[in-house]
Amino acid sequence: MSHALRVDWPSCHARGLCHELLPEVVDLDEWGYPLVTGEVTEALLADARAAVRACPRLALRLVEAPPR
Amino acid sequence: MSAPSPVPVPDRVVVHPGPALLAGLESGPWLPAHRARFGPLPDVSLDDLLDRVARVGVAGRGGAAFPFATKLATAARGRRPVVVVNLAEGEPASAKDTALALTRPHLVLDGAVATARALRAREVHVVLPGERPRTSVAVLRALDERRDPVRVRVHTASPTFVAGQARAVLELMAGRPDLPVTAWQPEAVAGHAGRPTLLSNAETWAHVAHLLLAGDPLRAGLGTTAEPGTTLLTISREGALPEVREVAHGTPWRDVLADVPDRPAAALVGGFHGTWASWDHLERMRVSRAAMRAEGMPLGAGIVHVPAPTTCPLALTADVLAYLADQSARRCGPCLNGLPALAAEVRGLVAGRDGTRRVERLAALVDGRGACAHPDGTVRLVRSALAVLGDEVEAHRSGQCATRSLREVTW
Repeated sequence: MSHALRVDWPSCHARGLCHELLPEVVDLDEWGYPLVTGEVTEALLADARAAVRACPRLALRLVEAPPR
Repeated sequence: MSAPSPVPVPDRVVVHPGPALLAGLESGPWLPAHRARFGPLPDVSLDDLLDRVARVGVAGRGGAAFPFATKLATAARGRRPVVVVNLAEGEPASAKDTALALTRPHLVLDGAVATARALRAREVHVVLPGERPRTSVAVLRALDERRDPVRVRVHTASPTFVAGQARAVLELMAGRPDLPVTAWQPEAVAGHAGRPTLLSNAETWAHVAHLLLAGDPLRAGLGTTAEPGTTLLTISREGALPEVREVAHGTPWRDVLADVPDRPAAALVGGFHGTWASWDHLERMRVSRAAMRAEGMPLGAGIVHVPAPTTCPLALTADVLAYLADQSARRCGPCLNGLPALAAEVRGLVAGRDGTRRVERLAALVDGRGACAHPDGTVRLVRSALAVLGDEVEAHRSGQCATRSLREVTW
């Protein structure tokens, strides 16, 4: 089962911790908001969970289906 | 400072008689005439309803064209569902739901009530558009005439572009500000108060009712086997009242637009979240959601905006962008930051700056990155402007305007 990161956009305030913790999957746009650049592979799953937990706005979720 | 809508919100509308929903307009919007025409609202079982809406392919008419049967089947699966009639038509260029409220309110309400009964739902919520008072009064008057076997609750949405978006409507029903929020599940799975919620646009409900009351539209010779029945269109013309027409799927656009006196080079298909199409291209098409989607001009909520032949479509795009940027709920970062930036860049194209690459970059940064489809729809418009109005962009870059000479234009 592949995983994907989804952002709760109204909650996200561009704090950028997700990029710090998971640069392989999360880039930042020119305003500091996350750009999810790929799927979360098995190898990155633990780091992705850490990023989800660390988000100060609780704006990140790991979902099992691929992104829409 | 707020940017006004380049197309005024219509509270008055010209409604043409049509072959199904808009037949018999002369008998008025009242309940006795409605019942005299169609007879009593039949009790229909869920299986029967599912079978009928699936057979004629009833699809959502709010713009997304999602199959109604799929939503209905999903909503029937869990706890006791809630039914919602969405009349909050945030798009200023659209007048079809206003037309239905003014002329056929009982068709809209019958569709929702019959479905609520089939689903054993106890509540039907009716959401009115805050910016269209005559529409609201017409629906309230119709509700006063009825005695329905369900509880009817009425809400009035904020007068904003995004207030009609499904999640914003659910927020309104929950007593919170009606702004879009992230949907983690479809509302037919978990919507109002966590219950399965069948939320559909006014026109969708009217088609459901007409199917139950008058039968299969194909048997009446309306539509094609691939797309049975009719659709409502708003022809919004600069300097004139919007006109609402009901046409059968498969009707040539040339016939629909035959009355338009002054043809511009391009029309805006699908409204502010829609796409530019050259007039010649549009006139070669038929009214078909599938065919139009395939040609890159999705019909959306059925709007064609026809600018005056002297209006520069690129300048109009810039005005629409300024309005759409202003209508952002300002909650999602990419929309809050990206839409004003996009609007400024498109204004720059009008002024002759070479900014198409920056426009494309910003469009990519905004697309798909919000709780609702507002950024996506805005990007659709911008991309179609670059694709279809290329000559105009080119002309502006060399200090001209292909529509009219630059010195006449004020922007």
